[in-house]
Amino acid sequence: MKIYFKSLGMHLKGELEYRVNFILSFLSQILVFFTYYFVILALFTKFDHIKGFTLYEVLFCFSIIQFGFSFNEVFARGVDRFDNLIIQGGFDRLLLRPQNIVLQVLCSDSDFVKASRLIQAIIVMIIALCHLTIPWNFMRVFTVLLMLLSSCVIFFGIFLMAASYCFFTVQGLEVRNVFTDGGKHMAQYPIGVFTKGFVLFFTFVIPYAFVNYYPLLYVLGRTDNLLYAFSPLLVLFYLIPCVLVFYWGMKRYASVGS
Amino acid sequence: MKAVEDISFSIDKGEIVGYIGPNGAGKSTTIKILSGILIPDSGQCRIANMTPWKNRTKYVKNIGVVFGQRSQLWWDIPAEDTFDLLKDIYEIPEEEYQATKEDLIQRLNLQDIINIPVRQLSLGQRMRCEIAASLLHNPDILFLDEPTIGLDAVSKQLVRDFIKKLNREKHTTILLTSHDMSDITSLAKRIILIGKGKVLYDGSLKKLQNRYETEKYVFLKTNDTLNIRHKGIKQKTKNKEGYDLVIDTRLLSISDLLNIVSKKITIDDVEIDHEDIDNIIVKLYEDYKI
Repeated sequence: MKIYFKSLGMHLKGELEYRVNFILSFLSQILVFFTYYFVILALFTKFDHIKGFTLYEVLFCFSIIQFGFSFNEVFARGVDRFDNLIIQGGFDRLLLRPQNIVLQVLCSDSDFVKASRLIQAIIVMIIALCHLTIPWNFMRVFTVLLMLLSSCVIFFGIFLMAASYCFFTVQGLEVRNVFTDGGKHMAQYPIGVFTKGFVLFFTFVIPYAFVNYYPLLYVLGRTDNLLYAFSPLLVLFYLIPCVLVFYWGMKRYASVGS
Repeated sequence: MKAVEDISFSIDKGEIVGYIGPNGAGKSTTIKILSGILIPDSGQCRIANMTPWKNRTKYVKNIGVVFGQRSQLWWDIPAEDTFDLLKDIYEIPEEEYQATKEDLIQRLNLQDIINIPVRQLSLGQRMRCEIAASLLHNPDILFLDEPTIGLDAVSKQLVRDFIKKLNREKHTTILLTSHDMSDITSLAKRIILIGKGKVLYDGSLKKLQNRYETEKYVFLKTNDTLNIRHKGIKQKTKNKEGYDLVIDTRLLSISDLLNIVSKKITIDDVEIDHEDIDNIIVKLYEDYKI
């Protein structure tokens, strides 16, 4: 852990070497983020609700997903940009060091510019929650926290899975974006608004539904089933295949080489 | 496709071995296997009583690797920050780390460059920092993959002297690859030549030189006219100050030549040149058709 935080500090120091660039990028990210936000706002000027979900419910869902995604962009950028490590040979160097590989990949990069998205996701979430009339109690607050956590976890898993792909193809390719960016865009809406096939896919293949749909129903008071509240924890199991695939890819890399 | 096949050698503790071969011969592949990055399909490898690709984290604490073509330093921040991170990665105790770092700073003359962002360093300065970074954990074995590539004469000399001293004082075992033969001649007594993934020669550099060095270049400074015919003299050209001769030393030794010549003319001065080591290597590659 100490190594990770030290690396973070070094990345920050490195980025601040180009201060103006950093500030401009940070500001531009705010604008980019607002375009996402406006799409949803625009949609709701025509409709009152999407399949029973109101504007602020969708925004809440959106902020949860954006939070998890941006969190990984800032703190797990090395996993996100893993193709760079493979292509430029930096991965060989990691293998020469006496530390866990996934930890070292995490340490290899971070993108503080994306912290602007993280902050905005939190702001949007607060705005959305203020507009919703939720009968708050301890369990509901706890569920929101679980949603945030599981959002971080699921994107970490997806990033790791996508990274494993580089062991086989070297280049990251766009295929991975189907699951990261594509999945992210869909999951910004409560999964329940889609047709049944999508709901099943996002429940059992990539479990977005446990992040932003089932727990959402509980927080909004549409169900009192506690299983819905704890469902984000199931996302933790999703990490297991992701980590296994990564190590399997690494084994293959070692016998094939770059 | 097979990158290397049937390569086998052993290296004693404290030895410096030059590992040479043309581009694509399999040098880097061998180093990657020896350092545990790649796992060979078959074969054995024991280094410091360990198999490199088993128990990776324990093994790599024993080795240092410098890739001349790749940097391990963080680009935008000073090298010292990278050193500090390596301290934690290798779990080096604080005191030991400080001592080793000070020592390396002294030996590699890093005082003035260690606090400058790496991207602002010259290639020579950066390479010195790279080498220091690879030695912070005091490894017993050092792999140097083209450590002098792109360096100027002064930096090259500094790096070589450092390596020599390191080997002498700490008995670090060193495997060195380079395309600059003067690196090899100044550092390694023993060389291993590989080509097309196979070992072609393993032995002393001197022997190889003797085997291939069949020609010597002799310059005789004289005002007299030299008339000489001998089967060992392959070529004779007159220039302003005397004569240039090319001698086949298998047929005529230098001392015999001088004996014969000095009876005929007055020699003011003699210069004898060896064949360039690079030419020997070219010949060697030609002979082995690699």
